[in-house]
Amino acid sequence: MLAEGTRSVVVVGTAKNVGKTVTLNALRRAAAARGLLGAVTSIGRDGEPTDALDGAAKPRVRLEAGTLVALPRELVPRSPAFEVLELGEPSALGAIVFARVRYAARCEIGGPPTARGVRATIDRLSELTSGPVFVDGAMDRIAPLAGGSDAIVLATGVASGATPHAIASIARETVARLSLPARVCGLERDSVVIVDGALDERDAEELIAHAAGATVVVADPTRVTVRGMLFERLRSAVDLRCERALRVVACTTSSVGRTHALDPRTLAGAVAEATGLPTFDVVAGLAA
Amino acid sequence: MIVDAHAGERIGAVWLRAALAPVGDFGRRSDQVFVPFGPGDEAAARAACAHVLALAHTLASDGVARVRAALRRAPDAQPLFARARAGDPLTDVDLYEVGRFIDALRETSDAWFDAGGAAADRPPTLEALGAILAPGRSGAGFYLADAFAAELAPLRARYADADERVQRERARLAMTFAPQLGFMPEGDEFIAMRDALPLVPAGMRVVRETPAYRTLALELDATALAAAHDLECALSELAEGEASARRALAERIGMHMSDVHAATAALGALDRTLARVAFTQRWDGCVPHFTTEHLAFDEATFAPLAEALAHEGLSYTRLSLDLRGVAVITGPNMGGKSAALATCGFLALCCAYGVPPPAQAFEGPLFAHVAWIGAGGSNDFTRLLSSFGAEVALASDALAIDERPELVLVDEFARTTGPREGRALTIALLEALVRRGAFALAATHFDGVARLANVAHVAIAGLGDRVLDVRAARNLHMALDAVARAMDYRIVKVEAGAPAPSDALALARLLGLEEAIVERAAALFAAGDAPTGG
Repeated sequence: MLAEGTRSVVVVGTAKNVGKTVTLNALRRAAAARGLLGAVTSIGRDGEPTDALDGAAKPRVRLEAGTLVALPRELVPRSPAFEVLELGEPSALGAIVFARVRYAARCEIGGPPTARGVRATIDRLSELTSGPVFVDGAMDRIAPLAGGSDAIVLATGVASGATPHAIASIARETVARLSLPARVCGLERDSVVIVDGALDERDAEELIAHAAGATVVVADPTRVTVRGMLFERLRSAVDLRCERALRVVACTTSSVGRTHALDPRTLAGAVAEATGLPTFDVVAGLAA
Repeated sequence: MIVDAHAGERIGAVWLRAALAPVGDFGRRSDQVFVPFGPGDEAAARAACAHVLALAHTLASDGVARVRAALRRAPDAQPLFARARAGDPLTDVDLYEVGRFIDALRETSDAWFDAGGAAADRPPTLEALGAILAPGRSGAGFYLADAFAAELAPLRARYADADERVQRERARLAMTFAPQLGFMPEGDEFIAMRDALPLVPAGMRVVRETPAYRTLALELDATALAAAHDLECALSELAEGEASARRALAERIGMHMSDVHAATAALGALDRTLARVAFTQRWDGCVPHFTTEHLAFDEATFAPLAEALAHEGLSYTRLSLDLRGVAVITGPNMGGKSAALATCGFLALCCAYGVPPPAQAFEGPLFAHVAWIGAGGSNDFTRLLSSFGAEVALASDALAIDERPELVLVDEFARTTGPREGRALTIALLEALVRRGAFALAATHFDGVARLANVAHVAIAGLGDRVLDVRAARNLHMALDAVARAMDYRIVKVEAGAPAPSDALALARLLGLEEAIVERAAALFAAGDAPTGG
C-alpha cells in the first residue's frame, strides 16, 4: 500500500470488537519496521482501556516518539507531555488537538465526530507528516473518504457472525458494497438512473422491478443501505455504480469473541475466498 | 435612546447593529456593555465620532480588514488566566492557547502598525508574558520543554531509558519463546494453535483458550518485571515533574492577569472602534454638531437602502433636509418619502452609536427617543388589530413616552381609514407633536395638512416634467429602473399653497395597470377638485 503511494489507511469493522484497533496497531508496527511512524487518529473514541459500552478490556494504543496524533483535547495525556501543534475540529471531548509524541506513550485515541471533521483531520495530518496516516475508522462515517486515495482495511471476526461461513458472507457483502465501481461516462448502459441520497430497500425493489439492466448511480458506496439477499438481487439486476468510489484493499479477521472462538486459519481462509482480498489474522500471524 | 422594535426595524437599527458588530470575542463582550450615547453625552459622542472619522481617514481600508482578521482569530484566553490566577493547573493545550493569545496580540499590533495606526494607540503585545512561554514555542505550537524546569531533562531521560529497557526485555522474552512458538510474538497478547503448541511453555500464561487455540501472554520474569516496575516509577516521577513545571508556569502566567485584562479590554475597544471605522470607510461620514435648534443634514445616505439598491445595480440619491420642529413631507409614490423619514432616524442612531453619520454635514440633537408611527406594527398585540388600529396603538405608545429630545417619524398616518377623518387625525397628531416640542417629519398624501397644522412643508421633487418611458418597461424590474431614472428624489421646500402631485396615474400606467382604467382615472381626476397643497 505504502509503495503505491497510499497516504492514509482507514480500518473499519463489520461490528464492534472485531479487532479494529489490533489491526491498526499491526499496520503501524509494519510501517515502523520500515522506518515510517506517520500519524494516528480515530473516528469517534477508541484506544480506551475498556470498552465504553460494555466495560470489556480493549487494546490501548502505544505511540512511539515522533508519531503525530490527532485526538480530542480531553484525551491528551498529561505525561509524558505531547508537543501541541494546533487545534482543529470540535468534538464532544474538546477540540481535536494535533500533537507530536515526544516520548513513547500509551493513550486513548479519539477523533472528530463528523464526516467533514474526519476528512479535514486526515488531510491536515497528511500535511503535517511525510508518513502514512492511520485511522481507526467507523463504517458509518467513511463517506468523506469516497473519491480520495485512502485505503480501507475491513476488520471482521467472530463478533459479526457465529460461523466462518456467516462471517465470510457478511464480509463479502460489505466489501462488494464498499467497492462499488466508479461511474465511467461513455461506458454506461442505455438507461442511467441517478439516485439522490440513500438507496434503501424501497428504492431497491423499485429499481429491480422497473430499471433492470440500467446503470444505477449513487453518490458514494455508503449511500447504499440495502443489505443481504436484496443487495445481491439488486447488484444482479442493475449495473450499480457510484460517483466517488472507496478503495477496500484488505481484510483482517479476529477469531476470538466474547462468547466463542473459531479456528483462525479456517476463518481467514473463508473471508479471503469470499472477498477476493488479501486477508490477515494479525494476532495469529496468518495470511490467506 | 428609546427605540422600539417597530421603529428600529424601519430606521435600520438591526442593519446598523449588524454592520457595527465586532468580529472577535473581546469586541463582542465590549459591545454588550456599550451604552448608546444620549442627551448629556454630546461631547463624548462627538469625540467618539471624530475619533472614528480620523481613523477612517488615516488607516488603509485593507489594513483595517487585516487588523480585524487578526482580532477575529484572537482566542479568548481569559478563562485560562483566571484559572491560573486561582492556582488551578493548566494543561499543555491550555498553555498552547495562551501562546496563541500572545500571537494574536502580536498579529493585531503588527497589523495596526502596517495599516498606518498611530504608535501611541498600538495595541499591547504582552512581551513579558510571551517571554515566559518562549522556551516551549519554536513555532505556533507549545511543548513543555526541558528549559522550563531543571528536573525535566533528567526525568525524561530516565523515563526514556526505562521505556527502552521494558521494550528490550519484551523483545528478549519474545526472542526466548520464538523458537517454541514458531513465530515472533508481538504485542501484549498472541494466539498459539493447540496443534502447533500442545503444551503451554513455562513463562507464558493463558489469557483465553478454545478447543483450537490459546490466547497467550508472556509472563514477565524478574528482570522484565523490575523493568516494568521501574518504568511505572519513572512515569510517575516524570508526571510529578511535569505537573510541577506546569504549576510554576501557571503561577508566573497568573501574575500577568491584570495586564491580560487590560489587553483584552483594549482589543475589545479596538474591535468595536474598527467596526465603526470600516463602516465609515464604506459610507463616509461627518462629525456631528449637536444642537437642539434643528435637525439638518446634507447629502446623507440611508445606508441599508443604498446597499440594497447597489445590490440590484441601482443608484442611490443622497438626501438633504433642514427640519425645524415639525414638518410635512409629500411627494409621489415611490419617491422616497419613507426613506427620507428613515434617514432621519438612521442618522440619529449613528450619532447614538458613536459612528459618524453618513452625510456631508449633520446638525441635530442627541435624541432620547425615536418613534415611528405608521402602518405595520410588529408586536403581538398590534398584529391582532386592523392596519388603522395598529397605527393608532403605535401612536398612543409613542406619545406615552415622555423623553426629550424626541424624533417622531410619521409614515402616512391614518391612510387606511376614511380620508376626511384620516386627514383630521393627522393634523391633530401634528399639532400635538408641535405642543410636545418634538422633532417630527410626517409623510402624507392628504391635502392641506401642513397648512392646517401650521407646520413646514417639504416634498420629494418627484417626476416633474420628466416623462416616464412606458413603452420601455416590459417587466417590473424595468419599470422600477425607469422610475429610478426619471424620479428626482431630492427633498425641496414647498411654498404655502403649492400643489403636491403624487404622480400616481403615471406610475400606475408604468407599473402595468390596464390602460383603460388609467385613462378613466385621469378623466375623473381632471373633472374633480385640483389639489390644494400639503
